[in-house]
Amino acid sequence: MDYGIDIKEQEAVVRLRGRLTFNDHAKLRALIREMLQNKAKRQILDLSALEFVDSAGIGMLLIAREEMANADKLLVLRAATGQVKRVLTVAQLNKIVTIED
Amino acid sequence: MTEAQGGLPGLENARVMVVDDNRVNRHLLLALLERGGVHHVAMAEDGIDALSRMNSFRPDLILLDLMMPNLDGFEMCKRLRADPVWKDLPVLVQSSLNRAEDRAKAFAAGATDYVTKPINAVELLARVRIHLQNRALVHDLRLFHERTESELALARKMQERLMPTPERLAEVEAALGLAIHAHFAPSSELGGDFWDLRRDGRGRLVVYLVDFSGHGVGAALNTFRLHAICQQMDFSDFDPATFLATVNKRLYALLPNGQFATMLAGVFDLETNRFVYASAGSTKPMVWAPGDAAPVLGESAGLPLGLLASADYEARELPLPPGGRLFFYSDAAIEIPVGDDVLDEGGLAELVTQRMAEPDAAVFLDGVLRALYATGPIDDDLTALVLTRKA
Repeated sequence: MDYGIDIKEQEAVVRLRGRLTFNDHAKLRALIREMLQNKAKRQILDLSALEFVDSAGIGMLLIAREEMANADKLLVLRAATGQVKRVLTVAQLNKIVTIED
Repeated sequence: MTEAQGGLPGLENARVMVVDDNRVNRHLLLALLERGGVHHVAMAEDGIDALSRMNSFRPDLILLDLMMPNLDGFEMCKRLRADPVWKDLPVLVQSSLNRAEDRAKAFAAGATDYVTKPINAVELLARVRIHLQNRALVHDLRLFHERTESELALARKMQERLMPTPERLAEVEAALGLAIHAHFAPSSELGGDFWDLRRDGRGRLVVYLVDFSGHGVGAALNTFRLHAICQQMDFSDFDPATFLATVNKRLYALLPNGQFATMLAGVFDLETNRFVYASAGSTKPMVWAPGDAAPVLGESAGLPLGLLASADYEARELPLPPGGRLFFYSDAAIEIPVGDDVLDEGGLAELVTQRMAEPDAAVFLDGVLRALYATGPIDDDLTALVLTRKA
């Protein structure tokens, strides 16, 4: 998995690319630190270029959600497609994370 | 080895064998080693003498001369390396031969290092110390590796014992006419998958299948936690949705943020020919009856366990007439990479469809598993269960 960040006044958009799995723990930790450092209240994870997420990857997204909430920021998962969208849907994660199309 | 007071670290318990045909050289090396803090020294006059004393002295390092009568240093080194016990022993060659091809020949024979005569005392002791330290580190690492391996093997046996024994499966089959075939393959020694059976107070068969996020030791420890929780549950009149909600509450209190489990729990109501179940984000169960063209996929949306204390779950059902068959699997089966995508439920359903006419459940399961392993690499724990109701 790799990512690019675009920080605007109100929101930061992080575009995740590739596969988010067990092996990306350190990278996602670094990403969470970056998201905490910028000033934007809304932290958007753009998942449109994310091809695959496994259960450990979902766990890391949930950690990100909690860390953002602790810092009074909102995490939004946006534009998931394919397998990623199916996993988010079957796990009904919209009950605990903001999910946008 | 521990730090020696005053002397070089790690040498006070080291055992060094000096192999040299020249008595003066041997005593020179002995004096030098003693001065450096090495007190356990054995002396051998040639290769044959040295080899005959290996097992009684058990050196940690050999200082080896090359030019000797009877058996020279090259040949002795070769014979030593042929014995697996000594294949890692540091052999420090000390020789007056100083041509590049002599050095090359010594290394080819298995030497670890090479110093030329006349001996520089400081250099020789420094090299002896480095090789002994390396050996001690490798030894520690090997011990650690062996201990970890045996602990993981024991833990794996414990984890396998969480799941029903063949005797229990045979009892269920005899009592209820439900035959169960299972496959359990963690991606490393331990896994985050687990499944079990119970009979509820009305005699009905309850089955549940769990998949913790991640894999490896952390996920495996969670399977033990969940197993303990399930042991304490009320199974008098099993209701899958209530069961999941209760298990969720208990797991929520235990799991750190970012860890969760998907779970499918259901009960076989044979009087009404139904499998009644609830799902916490599990994979979709597949069911079919004899003569069906394709399996029916049950709905499985639901919040995984451990994420929200107040989560509730929906009761669902699938038909299971006599002769019918149910297939459960962990998500590893549908996350196998296929091109840029993954196999997914549709792809798995196709593999099942091709084999569902097979009357023997063991042959069916084996065929599906072979097809899965042939599809692509599986890097997560894979569990698969087939339940067949007697016709």
